[in-house]
Amino acid sequence: MRLNAFRTTSFRLAALYAFFFGLSTTALLLLVYWYTLGQMEQDLERSVSARLTQLHGVYDSGGLEALKKSVTQESSQPGSRFRYALIDPRGLRVAGQVPYSDLGEEWQELEGEDEESGGENEDAILGGHGVRLPGGWLLWVGRDVETLHELRERLAGAVSAAMAVTIALALGAGVFMGWQVSRRVEAMNRTARSIMAGDLTRRLAVRGTGDEFDRLAEQFNAMLERIQALMENLRQVSSNIAHDLRTPLAHLRHRLEELRGRTLTTVQYQDAVDQAIGETDTILATFEALLRIAQIESGRRRTAFTRVDLSALLEELAETYAPVAEDMGHKLSAEVSAGVHVQGDRRLLTQMLVNLIENALRHTPAGTRVEMRLPEPAQSGALVTVSDNGPGVPEQERDKIFRRFYRLDASRTTPGSGLGLSLVAVIAELHDVTITLKDNRPGLRVDLQFPPQGAA
Amino acid sequence: MKILIIEDDEKTAGYVANGLREAGYTIDRAGDGKEGLYLAADGGYDLLVVDRMLPVMDGLAVVRALRGSGVHTPVLFLTALSGIDERVSGLDAGGDDYLTKPFSFAELEARVRALLRRPAAAVQQTVLRVADLELDLVKRTVARGDQPISLQPREFRLLEYLMRHAGEVVTRTMLLEQVWDFHFDPQTNVVETHISRLRTKVDKPFQSTLIHTVRGAGYCLREA
Repeated sequence: MRLNAFRTTSFRLAALYAFFFGLSTTALLLLVYWYTLGQMEQDLERSVSARLTQLHGVYDSGGLEALKKSVTQESSQPGSRFRYALIDPRGLRVAGQVPYSDLGEEWQELEGEDEESGGENEDAILGGHGVRLPGGWLLWVGRDVETLHELRERLAGAVSAAMAVTIALALGAGVFMGWQVSRRVEAMNRTARSIMAGDLTRRLAVRGTGDEFDRLAEQFNAMLERIQALMENLRQVSSNIAHDLRTPLAHLRHRLEELRGRTLTTVQYQDAVDQAIGETDTILATFEALLRIAQIESGRRRTAFTRVDLSALLEELAETYAPVAEDMGHKLSAEVSAGVHVQGDRRLLTQMLVNLIENALRHTPAGTRVEMRLPEPAQSGALVTVSDNGPGVPEQERDKIFRRFYRLDASRTTPGSGLGLSLVAVIAELHDVTITLKDNRPGLRVDLQFPPQGAA
Repeated sequence: MKILIIEDDEKTAGYVANGLREAGYTIDRAGDGKEGLYLAADGGYDLLVVDRMLPVMDGLAVVRALRGSGVHTPVLFLTALSGIDERVSGLDAGGDDYLTKPFSFAELEARVRALLRRPAAAVQQTVLRVADLELDLVKRTVARGDQPISLQPREFRLLEYLMRHAGEVVTRTMLLEQVWDFHFDPQTNVVETHISRLRTKVDKPFQSTLIHTVRGAGYCLREA
C-alpha cells in the first residue's frame, strides 16, 4: 500500500479549504478592485462634467464665439489634463485638440495619438463625453485616463497573482498535512499488520502530545492489552483443559488395557465397564461445565430473568442438602428470612448456590458445620452468605479459587472438575452479584451481595 | 410401538435404532428433515426422535410444521446444543422432551418409555396407588396399608414422580430435572441420599420392597 497524499482525507479537506479560501480571497480582491477603480472613475467623470458645465456657462453668457475662444485658450494651456473639441453641425472641429471625429454625448474612451504632446505620449487614452449645443454644435471634454488603465491592469495582475499564491499555498499545505497524517496512520497500519501477523506484544506509538492520534493510539493500546490478557487466559485455559482431560483419559486407557490382559467373571467385567463409564462421565462433565461457562459468559442472556423467590430457593436447597450433609458427616443449617426476591435466572441461581454449598461440603472434613444465611435485606440489596468452619482458604489463594481448573493443594485428591467456582463466578457476574471471600475464623465465608433490586 | 428417528448422523441413528429395536420397538429412519416430515405427516408413529440440526430442514422447523398441521405425535429432541435457551426453544416448538448428546442409552430408553406412557398419565388423578402404597395429591398424605407415612415436601415430590412412572425406569437425571429442577449434574449424592431416606420410610418398615435400583440406569418403583 503506497502512501498517496492526494488520496488522504486531510488532503481532500485541504483542497476544499483551498477552494473556499481562494473563493473568498477573490471576492475580497474584486471588491477592493471595483471599489478603488470605481471611485477613481467617478471622480474623473465628475471633473469632466464640471468642466463641461463651466464651458456651457461661457456659451450661455457669451455665445458661440466666446466658447470658441475659451476652448482654444484652454486647449493651448500647457500641462492641462483636459482635452477639448468643439464640433460644428457639419462634424468639423472648429476648436480644441481632440483628433477624433466620432465623438458623442455618451461617456467614451478613445485610444490613439495625442496631438498636444506630439508623440511624446503616443498611447494616450482619453476618456470623456460631450454636450449638444443649440444649432447642432457639440462640445466635448475629455481627460487622460491612462493612469487609471495602468492601475486597473496592475490591480488585475496583483489580484490574479494573490489568488494563484493563495491556492498554491493552500494546496501545498493540504498535501503536507495529508502526508503528515498519512504517515502516522501508515505507522499505525504497520503496527496493526504485525499484530495481525501474530505479534500481540506490539503497541501503537504514542507521541505524548495528547492529540487525537495519541488518544486513539492509547485506546487501541488498552484494547490490545485486554485482548492479549484474554488470549493469555485462553491459552492458560486450553493448556489446563488439555492437562485436566489427559489425566482421566490416561486412567481410562490404563484400566481398559489392564482389563484386556485378564480373565474376569461377567460381574467383574460389568464392574470394570461401569468404572470406565464413570470415568468417561467425569470427562464429559468437565466439558459440560466448560461449555456452560462459555455460554453464560458469551450469552449475557438476561432475557430469561424473572422475579425469583430467593428465600424459597434457599429453603428448598437447605431441605435438599441437609440430609446430604448429614450422610457426609456434616451439619447444614439455614437461617433464611422470608419473602426476599431478586431478578435473575432461577436455574442459574440454583446452580450457583448448589456449587457453593457442595464446595463447602466436599472440601471440609467430617463434622464441619455449613451455614446458609439470608438476613433481612438492607438498602444495598440481598446478601446471601454460605460459610463453614472448616480449614478455610489462605488469603493469598482467595482470588485464585475462581479461576478455571484452579484447585487448592489440599483438594487435589478430591474428585471434581476444578470448574465449580468458575461457574459460580460467571453466574454471579451475569447477575451483578459481588462475591467476597472472608475468613470465618475458622473456615471460609462466601458473601453474595445482590444488587439493589430497583436497579436490577 | 412405532418410532421414527430423524437423524442425519449415521452413528447416532444406528446406535439409537439398534438399541430401541432390541427393546422391542419398530424403528423407521429418516436422514433429513424433509424426509422425516414426509414420513411423520400422517401421524402413523407413536413417537418421533428428532435431531435439532438436520440437513435440508432443521428439527425445530419439522416439529413446528407437524404441530401446525395437527400431528401431535410425542417428540423427543436430541441435540448437541446443551444451552437452556436451546432447550426452551425446542420445547416451545412443540417438543415433549429434550436430551443432550452425549447421552447414555438407558437415559434415552427411560425417556422414550415415559413419553409413550404420557397420554394415560394426562388423566387427572388425585390418588396414586402402587400395591398397598397410596399417595393422596390433594390431602398430601402417604400411607402404606393403614400405616400413615410422614414425608418431607421434597420426599413427597420424589415419591409422586416415582409413582406416576410406576413400572418404568427413571434415571437420576430425570429425577434431578423433574423433582429438584436441577439442570446440571451435582457433585454430591443428592438423589441417592433422598432415595435412601425415602426407602427408610416407605420400604424398610414393611414386608415388601417397592423402590428398586436398576443397575446402570436408575430407579424403578414396582411391586416385587
